[in-house]
Amino acid sequence: MKLAHYYSKSYTILLLDVCAAMFLIAIITLPAGMLPPGWIRAGIVLTGLYFIARAAVLFFAKREFGASITGLQTIISNFKKGRYSVEVNGDIKNDELGVIYRDLITTGNHINDIMSSQKTEINNLRELYNNIVLSISSYFLVTNDREEVIFANESFCKKFQFDIEEIIGKKIEDLFFFVTGRIKDSLRQIIETREAIVLEKTHILSKNRISVIGDVKLSSIEIKGENQILIVIDDITSKCRKDYQISLISQISETIQRDEEIDTILYTILTGVTSGSGLGFNRAALYLFSDPDQSLAGTMAVGPDTIEEAIEIWNSIQANEYRIAAPRERRDGPAAKGKRFLEKTLSARFDLDAENVFTRALKNMENIHIYDASRDERIDDVVRELMDVNEFVIIPLVAINRPIGIIVADNKFNQVPISNDSIELLSIFAFQAAISIEGYNNIVKLKREMQKIKERQEAMIESEKLAAVGRIAAHIAHEIRNPLVTMGGYAKRIVQQAQKAPKGETIARAAEVIIKESDRLEKTLSNVMDFTKPSTFIMKFNSVNEVIEDTCSLLHNSFQEKKIGVRLSLLPALPLVKSDFNQLKQVMLNLLQNAIDETPPAGAIEIASAVEAKRIAVYVRNEGSMILEESLSQIFDPFFTTKVTGVGLGLAIVKKIIADHGGEISVRNLPERGVEFKILLPLPGQ
Amino acid sequence: MSTILIVEDEQHQRELYAMELQDEGYTVEQAANGKEAVEMVKKTKYDLVVLDIRMPEMDGIETLGKILSRDKKIPIIIYTAYSNYKSNFMTWTADAYITKSSDMKELKDKIREILAARSK
Repeated sequence: MKLAHYYSKSYTILLLDVCAAMFLIAIITLPAGMLPPGWIRAGIVLTGLYFIARAAVLFFAKREFGASITGLQTIISNFKKGRYSVEVNGDIKNDELGVIYRDLITTGNHINDIMSSQKTEINNLRELYNNIVLSISSYFLVTNDREEVIFANESFCKKFQFDIEEIIGKKIEDLFFFVTGRIKDSLRQIIETREAIVLEKTHILSKNRISVIGDVKLSSIEIKGENQILIVIDDITSKCRKDYQISLISQISETIQRDEEIDTILYTILTGVTSGSGLGFNRAALYLFSDPDQSLAGTMAVGPDTIEEAIEIWNSIQANEYRIAAPRERRDGPAAKGKRFLEKTLSARFDLDAENVFTRALKNMENIHIYDASRDERIDDVVRELMDVNEFVIIPLVAINRPIGIIVADNKFNQVPISNDSIELLSIFAFQAAISIEGYNNIVKLKREMQKIKERQEAMIESEKLAAVGRIAAHIAHEIRNPLVTMGGYAKRIVQQAQKAPKGETIARAAEVIIKESDRLEKTLSNVMDFTKPSTFIMKFNSVNEVIEDTCSLLHNSFQEKKIGVRLSLLPALPLVKSDFNQLKQVMLNLLQNAIDETPPAGAIEIASAVEAKRIAVYVRNEGSMILEESLSQIFDPFFTTKVTGVGLGLAIVKKIIADHGGEISVRNLPERGVEFKILLPLPGQ
Repeated sequence: MSTILIVEDEQHQRELYAMELQDEGYTVEQAANGKEAVEMVKKTKYDLVVLDIRMPEMDGIETLGKILSRDKKIPIIIYTAYSNYKSNFMTWTADAYITKSSDMKELKDKIREILAARSK
């Protein structure tokens, strides 16, 4: 048996030892006949002495060390319990155990000091941490793997208007409408993969209709062997709203600038103010003022009929998608969603004389914000029934200080209070809508006026044409009459003379004249016809030099007849021009014939080609008499002529052909004598 | 016998008129344009002038003025292919305005009428 063992049970053992010794002694004192044999007696005595001696040792040891050992035991057992602070009862002896005892007390106290200071620190940190988690502007929500809420911070509860006691233990899907499937999917995903997920710009709508656009961070944490999901929501609603508003304004101006139909523009505006999941209004309706019957009539409405429809609509668009859906749905028939709202709006009509909140907004051109329709005395039963919502806003459409309608908007489904911000935005749209409507009306008026002007213009052109036809007819009449008179006269003479006495020679002469005159008549007619008939061009790359040379050889005889010298100075390697060869030849022919007529006998005609300012220039100069200054401007007019026999179409035809080739023709008197015609033809690609 | 001056730039027509009027028994002289006509009027006294309007050098209207400024009493018949010149006030100073026709009956009748009135 170890000493320590006795020691621990010292009093019991001491008692037992004394009892055992006394028992042994009692045996020795038995009568002689009952005494055991001598060696056993000796053994009993020895054993008795041993017990006495041990009891004595214990007794003394106890007296000497007992207090110290008990103290040590107490300290150790306190240490085991985590109590390091030791209080000393009575004196501590200065023996070896006393020293250990003292050291232990000092160490204990030291540990205690460290522990308590750390504890304070930990408490401070915990407090800090709690403060941070509870009060941080991000919304915190912790759930377990079964998606039951186990923690939510203050901001979360405050924002979504939940009582913390109330939501602990509830399922997430009992707290939110899953406006987009993204959160639901992500929760499932994170339970499987344990990998953090960030959902940007997500529309969150609580069951009590608090709407938030947020960046949602989902992460998985393990606490005491159990997985928890930490959901942090950063509220970016106001930032998104700004983006949304700017994007919307630009889209609507874009639509307006595209000069779409007015219905499309108005629909875009209404869709615009109601789009953007969780950002825009839930519903919007347009009422337009009708001048003839002095009433305000429901014209268009956009918005769902039920919260389910609303969620379905929001589900189909991402919160960060601001694009306005094309109003195609409307064209294909009434939209399946919001049918009731549209029908109700379209059938609504208010006489301007009847005083109600809509007509008032229109007449006074003021924004009216109704907070509680059920109690507001400005709201009559008709409007109350029509809107079926407590809070809404009425914005007048004002075009140049004249009200033309109103827009009514509300947040019937997510019941977000209508902020001044939203009202301001709606006012901007109302302004845009008013401008569009006004612009559209003006365009309609303008188009009507333009149509009138066009009709008038056409009438004028028509009468101008008739006048021109009249002038041409007069001219032709004159030109045709002269030869006809001559022919007729001679023909008569032929008849007369043939009746008297046939004279072969005279008859022949008369017949000759008739033939000549009829030729002339044909020529006049064909000239006129040439000018009026539309010309079809065969555009090819032709050399102007070739045209000139061709024409000159054609007129060779005419030149020789009058002994006219032709001087050609053609630029070699003249670029080709895209043109109709025969038409250009007609031009040269007319110009040269003119020149021949004007040039005195034995005179000269000069033809030159060149490239000037990226155009081809052709000069035709004659030595004829000058053209009067006032005639220079008329020389290309049809039927202008200075010649006795001319029809006055030659140069008009020239000008027409050159113009058809995109070129120009001009005429000037040369300094000394003669006249110069200058043709400019564009080079290909110029 | 009366002497008639024909002012006409077109040779064939001029010759035709001359032949026709000669057949009627008049003495006929010819001028190919206004200038020539004015010169001839200066030298000779004609009983009547038949005047075309559209002519080179000097047109009928100008010629009319020049002849009349020389001899206010000389009868002038404007004989033209233009049917729409009648409204020109200068032509009012002429004694008659007749549109050309291959049947020269109207002209002949007018000449006869004017000369008959003169000889009274």
